[in-house]
Amino acid sequence: MTSAISLTGLVKTFGTTRALDELDLDVRTGEVHGFLGPNGSGKTTTIRVLLGLLRADAGTVRLLGGDPWADGVALRARLAYVPGDVTLWPAITGGEVIDLMARLRGGLDRRRRDDLLERFDLDPRKKASTYSKGNRQKVGLIAALTSDAELLLLDEPTSGLDPLMEAEFQRCIEEVKAEGRTVLLSSHILAEVEALCDRVSIIRLGRIVESGTLTELRHLTRTSISVETFRPLDGITGLTGIHDLTVDGRHAVFDVDTAHLDEAVRHLSGLGVRSLTSTPPTLEELFLRHYDGADKS
Amino acid sequence: MTTTAGAGILVRFMLRQERRGLPWWLIGSGLLVGYQSVGSQDLYGTPEALAKLRATMTGNAALLAMSGPERLLDTIGGEVVFEIFGFLAILVGLMNMFLVGRHTRTDEETGRGELIRSTRTGRHAPLVAALCVAGIADLAVAIVVFGAAAGTGLPVAGSVLLGAAAAGAGIAFAAMTAVAVQVFENPRSVYGAVGIAIGTAFVLRAAGDIGNPVWSWLSPIGWGQRTFPYAGDRWWPLVLPLAAGAVLVRVALILLDRRDFGDGLLPYRPGRATASWALRSPIGLGWRLQRGSIIGWTAGLLVLGIAYGSFADSVEEYVADNPEIAQYLPGGAAEVVNSYLALVILISALLAGASAVAGAMRARHEETSGRAEPVLATRVSRRAWLGGHVTVTLAGSAVAVAAAGLGHGLAYGIAISDPAQALRLAGVALVQLPAVWLLVAVAVLAIGWLPRAAASVAWTFVGYCAVVAMFADSFNLPDWSRQASPFVHLPQAPLDTVTAPPLLIMSALAAAVLTAGFAGLARRDFGY
Repeated sequence: MTSAISLTGLVKTFGTTRALDELDLDVRTGEVHGFLGPNGSGKTTTIRVLLGLLRADAGTVRLLGGDPWADGVALRARLAYVPGDVTLWPAITGGEVIDLMARLRGGLDRRRRDDLLERFDLDPRKKASTYSKGNRQKVGLIAALTSDAELLLLDEPTSGLDPLMEAEFQRCIEEVKAEGRTVLLSSHILAEVEALCDRVSIIRLGRIVESGTLTELRHLTRTSISVETFRPLDGITGLTGIHDLTVDGRHAVFDVDTAHLDEAVRHLSGLGVRSLTSTPPTLEELFLRHYDGADKS
Repeated sequence: MTTTAGAGILVRFMLRQERRGLPWWLIGSGLLVGYQSVGSQDLYGTPEALAKLRATMTGNAALLAMSGPERLLDTIGGEVVFEIFGFLAILVGLMNMFLVGRHTRTDEETGRGELIRSTRTGRHAPLVAALCVAGIADLAVAIVVFGAAAGTGLPVAGSVLLGAAAAGAGIAFAAMTAVAVQVFENPRSVYGAVGIAIGTAFVLRAAGDIGNPVWSWLSPIGWGQRTFPYAGDRWWPLVLPLAAGAVLVRVALILLDRRDFGDGLLPYRPGRATASWALRSPIGLGWRLQRGSIIGWTAGLLVLGIAYGSFADSVEEYVADNPEIAQYLPGGAAEVVNSYLALVILISALLAGASAVAGAMRARHEETSGRAEPVLATRVSRRAWLGGHVTVTLAGSAVAVAAAGLGHGLAYGIAISDPAQALRLAGVALVQLPAVWLLVAVAVLAIGWLPRAAASVAWTFVGYCAVVAMFADSFNLPDWSRQASPFVHLPQAPLDTVTAPPLLIMSALAAAVLTAGFAGLARRDFGY
């Protein structure tokens, strides 16, 4: 399988700040790749390197088989981009911006444009200075989705959208995926990433700290168990990989490292299970675990 | 008084926001008055010189239209008021317009006003606070103008009146803006409407000074001039701007009570749903972004040219009456008309250059505001992006320079009954174009290599060229210190004979500097 984006050892510094610190990222052709991290972790800087706006200080950058700094124009003809905060020209209408961007990209599919305007319920005749944050974001999204670019770089594209529009956006990305196109979706809305993404990379302080499919990542995390047993809960404190245990008579609630799940379940079944609920780890927990540590360090 | 709750806090907050901008308006007002006062006393300090000036001016409609009522020429202080009051009032009017507009309509549009109104502030508080800030600024103008006039040796009583008259014009325009922000939802429309009102006030007072004085009484600028500072010191017209201000503020508050927050009586008009055929390339975008200022500057320079040109015919007589003037003309007394035209065309070219530098700096603003980023995420290269902006700027400056020359030629041609002057002087003005382009090229060079300092570099260079062009002779600046100004190296048409080499060399230099600027942009990080 080929890679649409491949970054290895990417370093970018601004003055004394090391915004990207030997970042590795691999996005395969045809996948929707979630790019997770809080504000300031380096997501936007990475995307700007991919757009050829910033020159990498070290490392290799491959985008659609080329180097975005050297062959930027040819590569950018094949991608579409939505910034996290769409800023527009105050005196130009949303419809004009969408047309301009499509033409600068190489052509305008008017039927697709009108269809998207209707789906996102946007009035194209309003001057940009009168649009709300959510409507500006819609202009950026429609401008990108109108194109048939093979790669979509989306930098927190849904910030400011209401839940209805968020759902519409997810449908659009499903369609893009069905057409075999590639999406890099930077976000900190975890539900969106869980719903859309095949694989996920988590960035922290300019480095990728986890990367893989959601299933793979779940293995690295804990499962929450709530259990009631027939016999008293002896020996449960001695098990490895148990966290946040509370015992109330024959009822226990705890988290267990997914790697030690089997061991814990065997022990419990030895005690006779009356009822058991297990909750798989959410992306949110995964995310918080990486960042809780970051705050303390 | 609950509708004005919180206004006191807002006044302090607004003054804090204005602490960087406001001093420049005050410095500008002070310099305008002080510079004119020193200059006039130097030129017309004696009663004979003043009498000769009166003789030249009497009945010269073009000059009266640009200046003020003849009665002011009775004293030297009045002569200062005659020359600058109209421009001082425009400056103070613009200051008031921006002060009031920014803290009311613009705040409502950006949503900042919503944040303020969500606290314990009354409905009228932002408008009342903005008007208080404008009032404080006008008081400061009065003090600065008084200081500049009295400090340069003009009588104290007249100087107080001059300061008060300038502040009065400011108050009237602040109150007009207060009404306009209720009417228009779009801040640009507010500034447009008040700008037209200020222009109309200037035209009305011009009509009053040339013909029937009744017209002047319809204009806040006319009210100020007709206090006749130093030439009779008439105090009662100061009541007029205060009364008009009170009425207009009352109207504004009534309108404010009848509209919803964020709305205006005249809402935004819907725009185009689809882009026109022209908006399809970086040049199309550059034109769309710059067309307003290019059209505005072209029209402004055409009018300025007509004003300058209409005086060209009488300049010979004027210099004969006032021989001291000749030292300020590059060709001296020998070729008075041509050296006058060379000087005013140079000034017009400098103004066109300043507007072109502002156009070029727009590209940097596009970069830092993040608006350029999505454009560069398409198949537009940086070279094409900047090229689009700069091409429009260069072409626009050519049109503006030609319009200035055309204006000179039209007015001068009508005066001497020679229509061919229009095209001749348009061509003459275009001789300065390579230097204007070099100003743009330097701005682009700075954008390419020193992006953060680009605005300072570009504007310092413009300021330097203006100082060299206008003050080098009066200040006796040494020859070497003028050499960096491109205008020095071009022929001063129509005084000098125009030859091709200086024009070609200057154009080639501008092209080389532009190329270097583009190369700088291509190799640096974008957006920082």
